[in-house]
Amino acid sequence: MLFSSIPFLFYFLPTVLILYFLAPKAAKNAVLLVASLFFYAYGEPVYVLLMLGAIIVGYVGGILIERFVGRDAKKMERSSASKVVLICAIALCLGMLGFFKYANFFVSNFAMMTGVPVQILDIALPIGISFYTFQIISYLIDVYRGSVPAQRNFIHLATYVALFAQLIAGPIVRYKDVASELKDRKSTWDGVLEGSRRFIIGLSKKILIANVLGELVDIFRNSTGETVLFYWIYALVFSLHLYFDFSGYSDMAIGIGRIFGFHFPENFNYPYISASVTEFWRRWHMTLGSWFRDYVYIPLGGNRVGKARWFVNILIVWMLTGFWHGADWNYILWGLLFAILLVIEKAGLLRVLEKVRFAGHIYVIFVVFVSFVIFNASGIEGMLSDFGGMFGMAGLPIINDETLYYVRSYTVVIGMALVGATPLPKFIAMKLRNGLIVFGGNKSGELVWSFFETVVIAALLLMCTAFLIDGSFNPFLYFRF
Amino acid sequence: MRVRIQVITIALLFFGLALFAWIKPADAVSDSELRKLAQFPEISMDGILSGEFARQFDDYAVDQFPLREKFRSIKALTYTYVYGQLDNNGIYLQDGYAVKMEYPYDESSVNYAVDRINYIYDRYLADSQTKCYVSIIPDKNYYLASGHWALSMDYGKMIDDVRIGVKNCRYIDITDTLTIEDYYHTDTHWDQSSITGVAEKLAGEMGTPLDDDYEIHEVTEPFYGVYYGQAALPIEPDKMKYLTLPCFDKVIVNDLQNGKVIPIYDEGKMKTRSPYDLFLGGSLSLITIENEEALTDKELIVFRDSYASSLMPLLISGYKKITIVDIRYLPSERVGNFVEFSDQDVLFIYSTSVLNHSSPLK
Repeated sequence: MLFSSIPFLFYFLPTVLILYFLAPKAAKNAVLLVASLFFYAYGEPVYVLLMLGAIIVGYVGGILIERFVGRDAKKMERSSASKVVLICAIALCLGMLGFFKYANFFVSNFAMMTGVPVQILDIALPIGISFYTFQIISYLIDVYRGSVPAQRNFIHLATYVALFAQLIAGPIVRYKDVASELKDRKSTWDGVLEGSRRFIIGLSKKILIANVLGELVDIFRNSTGETVLFYWIYALVFSLHLYFDFSGYSDMAIGIGRIFGFHFPENFNYPYISASVTEFWRRWHMTLGSWFRDYVYIPLGGNRVGKARWFVNILIVWMLTGFWHGADWNYILWGLLFAILLVIEKAGLLRVLEKVRFAGHIYVIFVVFVSFVIFNASGIEGMLSDFGGMFGMAGLPIINDETLYYVRSYTVVIGMALVGATPLPKFIAMKLRNGLIVFGGNKSGELVWSFFETVVIAALLLMCTAFLIDGSFNPFLYFRF
Repeated sequence: MRVRIQVITIALLFFGLALFAWIKPADAVSDSELRKLAQFPEISMDGILSGEFARQFDDYAVDQFPLREKFRSIKALTYTYVYGQLDNNGIYLQDGYAVKMEYPYDESSVNYAVDRINYIYDRYLADSQTKCYVSIIPDKNYYLASGHWALSMDYGKMIDDVRIGVKNCRYIDITDTLTIEDYYHTDTHWDQSSITGVAEKLAGEMGTPLDDDYEIHEVTEPFYGVYYGQAALPIEPDKMKYLTLPCFDKVIVNDLQNGKVIPIYDEGKMKTRSPYDLFLGGSLSLITIENEEALTDKELIVFRDSYASSLMPLLISGYKKITIVDIRYLPSERVGNFVEFSDQDVLFIYSTSVLNHSSPLK
């Protein structure tokens, strides 16, 4: 089920909210779990069993790890038995992910390299598998490290993994971040308002901007009248599309979580205002970046190793980051591109960029455009074709009537997206609120602001509903990662 | 208290819409889009396990949402006047007309249509005494695209491709007899009361005299054309008019598809989802119009699309019999079972829209 769909917004969500707030405290997690399983099973019923299997692996694995760790966990002494359980549990989780997400990649590459004809497997990628697998792995490792006690209440752990708010497209929530809230949390009026506001803003980012930009991406992909300018507009629009799509989803997830009393981690912090790739990755998909840092990069030795090994560590982490996003070579290349740029920045470029921030912004925008063209390409061949078009090597005209038409038609929404990708709207809203308070006094100013805010939220909800009713298919990009 | 009021206000709107969606009875059709609306899907274990139930429920929830038309208008207005989009769902407004942006030119589609026409010629006309003509009806985008910066297919190439491709039929250019004022504002079709010049041009080129003693009749019901619903923008409905001649009292229209006699004009169709069916019963595969009081003894066979439904009554004064064939519904191979080709005039007349999407031609 999609957040940005009528069934979710006006059938599923209201039902869950009513049941949740009517349920006694002890039953709230059970309500969320049942709702989440229904949410997951709605479109792909069979794969809910796979997710339940992964949860059972995490649940049993966590308890066994804790049992074998020994009592002196704080001294970081781990028994080999606990390590074996950890490795087995992670292997099982990664095995499921590997089979459903990467089997065909390996099979087809094996066939290509050896010439042996191999049947491609007829398997669909279960939605959200990359996200919930990483959540379970982080839980197991944290239990092994002694950062958190194993969760003995199956419903609590299952709710953590399967919670529909963040189940299928993140943010990747660490168990330790919500462990206490799984047991005891409170929904407040302030929290519900904050969550509702955040949810509607995320919904608007997805429906009113990302989906409209997505139309232009589709138009470009189906066009027979490409030009060099159209390729660059595509690169710009896809970059914005991806940001609004994914950050919109994260906002919705964080907002729903807040309504239920959870505090999920932030996932985006205006990445396109970055002046270096290093900064970009501190602002883009933050929960994934920190996951790889804590569970892959640091265990590999991080930067506390020789230069050669450090370089290899970075390559491994970013190759895996790319591969996590998709089972194709262009995703791996996408990750490696960032690895190389990060190494270059750490080698000295970062110091230069910090002094000339304007140049840094231009550099980041160029890198982002190029990287997301790689990201969205159909394999290596498609990537080369796209670059040929962008850099004038495909014999295309610079501009034509079709490109001009779509530039004119989408100028406003692209402008809205460009401004919306910066902190400017938030800054203006804060200024407006402060101005109202200064002008009308604390109480009256807040009252006017509340009225204004409520009207805007209501208008956005109605507009999103209108767009959904008139639109049709609008999947989230990150569902399949 | 302020926060509580905010939460309650938002909740009232949200749950109010949800409740409305749950209790609203399902509608059968969308009059503005001229289509059936999805209904609540049948519940079955197979449907649930395959995900088919969910897909059908998604369609149902969107199709049956309360105030659907109002919401569609909100979206269309936002797209047009806030986002500054030049079209909404491929439809744009220019000079009060809702116009479909016909683009790009699909050469393979036009070639397919040309092949179909040549096939019919080779199979039925080549060895007969018939005289063959071909003509193209421009769509509204032909006249308005340049004023809107809209994309427009290469109409000149289409005309050339048909004129050159259909070697054995004489091309009759009717573009000079039409202006945008001759079309409905909300529909793809032309207004019958404005195309007497087209009829005269075609008849003249085929050497047939016509009676021009027309009487104009105006239908009382407003006409909401196909683009009205698709555009979802506030446009005034059209007034539908039709023309009659004194000879129409003696004219007999045979619907050979259903084996019955039908009226030339049926105002009852105005209340259906397809008001343009007022003219000659709408989408029928095979019709004959017989006129004992025709100005000549000539017969005409027309291969056509829906535009011809309003055009043919204007030609009947000159022909003793007109046979109207729609090969979207009657395959070309079977036409010979119903129509005898001897010394008639044969006219292939298609709109640019159908030629550019010609796969339904059989």
